[in-house]
Amino acid sequence: MRLLEYQAKRLLAAHGIPVPKGRIVLAPGDLPQDGYPAVLKAQVPAGGRGKAGGIVRVETAHEASEAAERLFGAMIRGIPVRQILVEDAVPVERELYLGVTVDKEEPVGLLLASAMGGIEIEAVGKTASGEILSFRIDPCFGLVPPMQRYLASRLSVEPARLTEIISALLEIFSAHDATLVEINPLAAASGALVALDAKIILDDHATFRHTPHWTELAEEQGEGGADGAEDPATSLRALGISHVPLDGEIALISDGAGTGMLTLDLIEDAGGRAADFCELGGAAGAETIERALSVVTKNRNAKALLISLLGGLTRMDEIAAGILAYLGRSEIPIPVVVRMSGTKEEEGRAMLQRAGIATLDDLPEAVRTAVQLARGN
Amino acid sequence: MSVLIDETTRVLVQGITGNVGSFQTRVMRRHGTRVVAGVTPGKGGTRVDGVPVFGFVREAAAREPIDAAISFVPARFALDAALEAIESRIPLLVLTAADLPVHDVMKILRFARANGVRVLGPDTPGLVAPGRCKLGVHPERVLREGPIGIVSKSGALSYEVCKQLTEAGLGQSTVVGIGGGPLWDLDQSDVLCLFEDDPQTEAIVLLGEVGGTMEHRAAAVIRERITKPVVALIVGRSVPEGARMGHAGAIVGGELETAASKSAALRGAGAKTVRTPREIVESLKGAG
Repeated sequence: MRLLEYQAKRLLAAHGIPVPKGRIVLAPGDLPQDGYPAVLKAQVPAGGRGKAGGIVRVETAHEASEAAERLFGAMIRGIPVRQILVEDAVPVERELYLGVTVDKEEPVGLLLASAMGGIEIEAVGKTASGEILSFRIDPCFGLVPPMQRYLASRLSVEPARLTEIISALLEIFSAHDATLVEINPLAAASGALVALDAKIILDDHATFRHTPHWTELAEEQGEGGADGAEDPATSLRALGISHVPLDGEIALISDGAGTGMLTLDLIEDAGGRAADFCELGGAAGAETIERALSVVTKNRNAKALLISLLGGLTRMDEIAAGILAYLGRSEIPIPVVVRMSGTKEEEGRAMLQRAGIATLDDLPEAVRTAVQLARGN
Repeated sequence: MSVLIDETTRVLVQGITGNVGSFQTRVMRRHGTRVVAGVTPGKGGTRVDGVPVFGFVREAAAREPIDAAISFVPARFALDAALEAIESRIPLLVLTAADLPVHDVMKILRFARANGVRVLGPDTPGLVAPGRCKLGVHPERVLREGPIGIVSKSGALSYEVCKQLTEAGLGQSTVVGIGGGPLWDLDQSDVLCLFEDDPQTEAIVLLGEVGGTMEHRAAAVIRERITKPVVALIVGRSVPEGARMGHAGAIVGGELETAASKSAALRGAGAKTVRTPREIVESLKGAG
């Protein structure tokens, strides 16, 4: 779950990191009467809000009201604005970057810092002068004192202030099961450091130990007019399903990430394109495949459905039962190709055969069949 | 010979009384695995398929030395179970659970390193030396003993490749699933070196995927250390950048993490790169 800016800043503030004073409004009428100049910031979980017009500096209450009228109901990066953060405008001399994420090579956190804040850290690396400083963080030692001094020197900030902020970032990172805690930009002005924007991503796999707190955070994100419907990706994850929408014409369900990606590649080699990547996880049951079917059949671009199965922990008789249960209550409006192999495959195939669904054993053949069916011949 | 395990390996099963744990224990034993003990907190004193169950790893380890452990403990309790096995310094730990919180994976891998324990997983089917020892959930029907060593990030992809190899009469020395990530202890490079030193293994199949840069390190190892033929299949050629394709580690975060870049590096290091499991079989038959 990606926190909205104000939720992330609330967490930073709770750990002692200075943030601008602000409040959240859900309608133009909720705007404060005084306290201007201020900054209105659309609360959507997306980067590049400034460029997309989602961040507006206002000098007066009148300007604020006009800007809020415009922002509410607008789409920023494809997401409707339902909450606006109204924040004090703070002086900025320089914009820095600080972030903590999971290192890709070692099982430790990675602290990233740059004197070039305010743009995406990925973009900093592509500029000629952009230097990204990175430090693997041993959880016993944190950022060791000599590196604290080194970093402060490179960023031209006061070491004590910087160290406090880094300690807080690392604390949030581990205590809140975050995969990313990022302050960008961190404003430096007359010795003070203030977090102007923040991005925090919480690890969905750790939801079980942060209930009900994380549920409340998710509900809070829906305030201000969201329909309250459950995020479909969340309910799929609970069943171990990964779903990635794609833009082709063949809906794909597979029972493994590796075989799913292989099937995707084979579809492309055969001249087709996948409409979905729907992977059931390592130990799928009847309920999992039923749910997956209900997701991929919603895709109107799909002209054929390819189910590619090679069970390890997944039992083919259970998958067949799930497919039949789904067909018992709904129709699949497109041709279906099932490649079934693995644990209890004879039982599974026989069950499908009795229901008039043919199964194939050879994956390339199944892929070719699906591509042809999607073309309508 | 095989790598990491053989018919003498004394195995402990964590989560042995659960549905998956008890079922897989029976399958592993049928395959010849010496399962000497099981552990489930609070279930000490019972038996599963004749295997004594203990409440704590320490109790099991006190009765008989343990060479390897496999955990069927679900994600939310997997950290606790892993720390217990590592604390007892069981030399090899297989973590089958997927979807562990990444901070838990970091803790497990750091604690393992501090205690000299090697870890396969999380999100791995484990490993199997066909006909000798099965420390995992691979479907037995796709396996056959033989000269091919396989290292794979993906479980199902390794089953698919084993199936086609076995149908073509090419057996396997050991099939090692290192797991879908996002972090690893034992990785492709480690397993490549084990296969290089294993007399039974004559050729190596490396099954990789998009995301991370592990395949580039494997390429460097192949260039420097591996003399046996390596056939590599990197899946995810057609996946869009930034999408997470089922495995925690399978997300393209830059040019080096694409299938094309990894395949080129492996090819440059002397590996034969192919696009389908069938081409793996053809390539190995040609080499033999």
